[in-house]
Amino acid sequence: MKKVDLELAVGFFLLLGILSLAYISIKLGRLELIGGGGYPLYAEFTQAGGIKEGSVVEIAGVQIGRVKSVRLSDYEALVEFTINENVKIQEDAIASIKTKGLIGEKFVQISPGASEEMIPPGGKIRDTESAIDIEELLSKYAFGEV
Amino acid sequence: MRTLGERKLLFFFTLICLLLLPVIPGQANAGDPTEQVKQTIEKVREIFKDKNLKKPENREKRDELLREVVGKRLDFEEISKRSLARHWRKLTAEQRKEFVSLFSDLLETTYLNKIERSQEEDIEKHEEDKVLYQGERIEGRYASVKTTIVTYKGTEIPVEYRLIKEDGEWKAYDIVIEGVSLVSNYRSQFNRIIHSESYDELVKKLREKTIKEE
Repeated sequence: MKKVDLELAVGFFLLLGILSLAYISIKLGRLELIGGGGYPLYAEFTQAGGIKEGSVVEIAGVQIGRVKSVRLSDYEALVEFTINENVKIQEDAIASIKTKGLIGEKFVQISPGASEEMIPPGGKIRDTESAIDIEELLSKYAFGEV
Repeated sequence: MRTLGERKLLFFFTLICLLLLPVIPGQANAGDPTEQVKQTIEKVREIFKDKNLKKPENREKRDELLREVVGKRLDFEEISKRSLARHWRKLTAEQRKEFVSLFSDLLETTYLNKIERSQEEDIEKHEEDKVLYQGERIEGRYASVKTTIVTYKGTEIPVEYRLIKEDGEWKAYDIVIEGVSLVSNYRSQFNRIIHSESYDELVKKLREKTIKEE
């Protein structure tokens, strides 16, 4: 009898382990099983260096969405975001690619504008600031003098 | 009574005037954004190349000319609105007007002082700089013109002008130099000051700054 109890307990914990593993992998992999709430927005950058699928989109340091895809369009980077349903973005907002800390990961920061008009789902954030290439800037101004 | 010949002359004269009318302003805002940006840049370069204006006693006159030429191409209200962002909506019409004049003064003095501080010889060297126009994009009433300044040293500086159409004129509401936007820069600064202090404090700061720099 005792042996059965032990096996049951082991089985129970094993199941618990598998479930937590599944939960962790879904969380970490940012899988959206239920389709994920939010509406799409687009922005074009001349340099999207470091931004990839899953990168965070923030306003004032608060996450309001994620990058859904990054692809090339007319030799510029076309980035698609999924923005939380309850966050509306003004038509004159600016999307900038920023770095967490000095060498941290890249994220997209949106600074809200003054316009009364909001960007409809599927619309585009017109004003963008691309990733700043610190190395390039350094070489330009440190070694530029000939 | 006028003679028939005189009448005919008068008629033709008015006809020619009427025909010319749409042509002249049409030329002044010659269509596309690149052309208009180019016009302003060329005018600025001419001002700097002008031997007469280079004399120290004519400094003020040159500043005045620069202010006029560049001011015509910039939309200070739109720049102010976008820089203040959300806080703009809370202002009364009077406050907005005051802010636009303060902010445009600040921008003007900041840049004119930069020119003031640099040596005339250095400015002369920059007459060799080239401006490359690398295409434009028009979307409704908005447009952007991409340029690259190649300095006499060979350094390339990408500059993008973001324009809005107003009465057939393209006017800049933001300038992006080396990927850094002017509006975005001031937007975060203003936001910080308004949050940590207040709007009145920001106005006070702007006022102090323009007076001090003058």
